[in-house]
Amino acid sequence: MEFTTQDKGRYTEVSASGRLNMVAAPKLREVIDEVVSGGGKRIVVNLADTSFMDSSGLGALIGCLKLARQSGGDLRIAAVQPQVNMVLELTSMHRVLTPHATPEEAFLND
Amino acid sequence: MTDILARRTLEKPADEQAIEDLHGILDQLWLDAAFVPALDQMAFTTAVIEAASNVVQHGVPEAGCDLLLGVDLTVAPGRLRAVISEIGAAALDPVPDLDGPPLVSDPDELLEDYDESGRGLSMIRALVTTVTVERQGDTNVWVLSRDSGAGN
Repeated sequence: MEFTTQDKGRYTEVSASGRLNMVAAPKLREVIDEVVSGGGKRIVVNLADTSFMDSSGLGALIGCLKLARQSGGDLRIAAVQPQVNMVLELTSMHRVLTPHATPEEAFLND
Repeated sequence: MTDILARRTLEKPADEQAIEDLHGILDQLWLDAAFVPALDQMAFTTAVIEAASNVVQHGVPEAGCDLLLGVDLTVAPGRLRAVISEIGAAALDPVPDLDGPPLVSDPDELLEDYDESGRGLSMIRALVTTVTVERQGDTNVWVLSRDSGAGN
């Protein structure tokens, strides 16, 4: 899985491309930890190119959300594909990490 | 005897590479069995990866053994089936709780109480029609099957 980070001004966008499984989950934690350590408060994880997520990937996202909130910020997700959406709904985690249609919309009203 | 319409197998040391290879095997299975509805493909793939990841993350080799992951995936009329073998493994103690943690409704509580490994097992239970785990010799065998309209 490949991660790219972009400063979009109002938020930092982290794009995740590939499969967010037990192999990639620790890498996501490292990437988000780096963003938070660098002062990033508003983080959007763009999942447009994330074709698969398992419970390890979901666990990493939840861990990253906690990390962002503990530092006084927030983490949101966008452009969720069907398999990822299925995992979010199956675990009820869509109520904690509500998908936004696009990264631009994630912090539109804040 | 049930007709097998598509089949893929894998046997490898139980490590991260085995999970990446299993994703590839599943992709090939769906190329051979493109008639399986997308929802069934998605649910079955997710359950198989969850079970195999559980073997890689939590499997304990029997003394003097190398832990291997064996996977046998079959598509038959009306049924998707995966036999996932934890070869050379110590017996599971305790046997995994396939019911997982109870569902909670409050989002704050959901976030606070999130349990990664327990969530994986309850996901498997929700994604397939039946799941069993049993001991066969030096192997723990997970059998996952999902009813599907495929191939009827």
